[in-house]
Amino acid sequence: MRIEHKSWNDPVLVATVAPLALAMVAFFLIPLLMTAVLTFQTTQYYRLVWTWDLKIWTEVFSKPHYWTIMMRTVTMALVCVVLTVLIAFPAAYALATRLKTFKTQIQILIIFAFLTDAVLKTFGWILILDKNGVANWLLMHVGFPPEMLNLLFTPAGTMIGMVYNLVAYPMFTIYLSLVRIDRDLILAAYDAGASRIRTFFEVTLPLSRPGLYSGAVLVFVLSLGAFLEPKVLGGGTSPLASELIRQSFETRVNWPLGAALTVVLIAIGALMLAACAAFALRRTSSTGRPA
Amino acid sequence: MKKGTADISSNIGAMKRRSVLKGMGGLGLGLAAASSGFLASRRGAAAAESLNYMCWEGYNAPNIIEPFQKAKDVTVSIDLITDSAGGFAKLAAGASRDFDLVSSDSPWIQRMGPAGFCRYIEEADFADQFAEFYPQFRAPFEPLAFEGKATGLPTRWGWVGPTVNTKFDKLETWSSYAPVFDSAYKDKICLLDWGDWPIMPLALYAGVNPYEELDAAALEEVRKVLRAAFKNTRAIVADLAVAQKGLIDGSFRALIGGGTYATSALRMKGHDYIQSIVPEPKNGLKQGIIWMEATGLIDNGKNSQIAADFLKYIVSPEVAKQLAITDATCNLVPNSKAEALFSEAEKKALQMDYMWTAWDNSQFHTVAPNIDDMLAIWQEELAAR
Repeated sequence: MRIEHKSWNDPVLVATVAPLALAMVAFFLIPLLMTAVLTFQTTQYYRLVWTWDLKIWTEVFSKPHYWTIMMRTVTMALVCVVLTVLIAFPAAYALATRLKTFKTQIQILIIFAFLTDAVLKTFGWILILDKNGVANWLLMHVGFPPEMLNLLFTPAGTMIGMVYNLVAYPMFTIYLSLVRIDRDLILAAYDAGASRIRTFFEVTLPLSRPGLYSGAVLVFVLSLGAFLEPKVLGGGTSPLASELIRQSFETRVNWPLGAALTVVLIAIGALMLAACAAFALRRTSSTGRPA
Repeated sequence: MKKGTADISSNIGAMKRRSVLKGMGGLGLGLAAASSGFLASRRGAAAAESLNYMCWEGYNAPNIIEPFQKAKDVTVSIDLITDSAGGFAKLAAGASRDFDLVSSDSPWIQRMGPAGFCRYIEEADFADQFAEFYPQFRAPFEPLAFEGKATGLPTRWGWVGPTVNTKFDKLETWSSYAPVFDSAYKDKICLLDWGDWPIMPLALYAGVNPYEELDAAALEEVRKVLRAAFKNTRAIVADLAVAQKGLIDGSFRALIGGGTYATSALRMKGHDYIQSIVPEPKNGLKQGIIWMEATGLIDNGKNSQIAADFLKYIVSPEVAKQLAITDATCNLVPNSKAEALFSEAEKKALQMDYMWTAWDNSQFHTVAPNIDDMLAIWQEELAAR
């Protein structure tokens, strides 16, 4: 493959990149900058006062409960990443290798579930997880004691909702990686005497890493902003960062505080992603294989 | 063989996709043509004036808005709010220039006065409306006054107290908020996550009047009572339907922080065993809270007569009756003449036989000086849950 080196003096390149760059500046960088600027202001009688001081940042760094919620958010996001990948990988693997006959139908079903409004899906879980819900009804009918499951309004309930709403993302990215694996490589491994398990860990898993990583990143970023699931299924037992930010903006009408917490959440997310990217790069350079 | 099958199926799939896409294209063109025709007809029917109205759900009901639009040849553009504070913040951030009037919780209408974007109403201009109100709401109506001037008119009201399913609990049990902290009720209580609404009754139970200026000791009492309530609470729920479902099936024995706003619609649908009551005064401190929604005019420089006319319209007996009974919630209205328009079933659903008992045993929900401190405590204690 020939790599063509282009110069920024090339007007075609500039014209191609400019619309996207302008859109990014207008709709991402400027709002982000405005959010950062907002954190140095204060509110007085529910109105923004341009003061340029560090009052809000002092509050953010002196009140431990903000950090408790931030850490809980990151922990929940990481657990969600692990669970979604654990569920998505076998499903995507089966779809790519074993269920070829019904592949289209299954993909359509997954797309329908993916496109169904998250509000509907999340509220639907109430009917399943409630003490008097479908799950307990089924368990009771197979001989378990009544109201055995008590998952609604618990952190576990929140996690079930998050995993359910987000599992389609890694399922698709992993599936796309798996179908692009050259089947000859797998056959070569078998010819060389590798068992099915060894072939999976030596060939399939490393080559599916791009899909695995991109799915994990998508789930992590979306989990950091999870709002519906803790609100509807958590019942106040697992307040996460988005609810804290909403409360600050809306209920307390403290926009600088909401902006500061937003900046903190974005910074935590970006730092964690940077650390993961660095880890992946190190792994690539040490193994010589693409991560 | 398998590969061949896959090819055939993919060809069939492609054909199907193409025909589906063609069909969708046709449908899209049809919709575009239809919508352009619709827009054209809308433009042709454009009204002479327009009114920008920020309000809670219920105020925007077609049976309320459409007759006014027709009678006054005006287009009413609605901006629904889901949070009174959020609506106020939007106005304070500059949207007050775009709106003519707003219907929200009464403290946020009163706050428009000091915030500088209230178009005060002359009580003399609304004398006929005040005359129709119950005596408790007549001018000069202190909860909506700022520096002696009226910031709006009351439009709906009710009370906040324990909401109880009488199939499971006797009402007498809830003559105090004590069961909220009783281990016998562990994981059977639901707090409604509606801003300051659940905080105020619990503060009152702790012996703190949240509508007065609070010192550090009083705020510490609020913290203690919230912490104790959180320990015993099964869920803190923002969605009314979820809370109501739990109350009906008995998984919640009581809702705290919703009062009649959470009750009347259920009672209207036949669940008359659900009731909101007001606890007995404790150590001389009234434990109930009267909440009220109000509608105020916004000073946007237009001095719109149509906006003032709408204010008179929204509190008129017939409209007040419609505003009282909506799909989502049912509430009392301040217009005494509207009472005659309610059926006996509606009066029962609204607990009208109890309303003045509730009034007499309640504080009025006004601007609380330390509300931000209390909301911050709520956030902190919630984080520690």
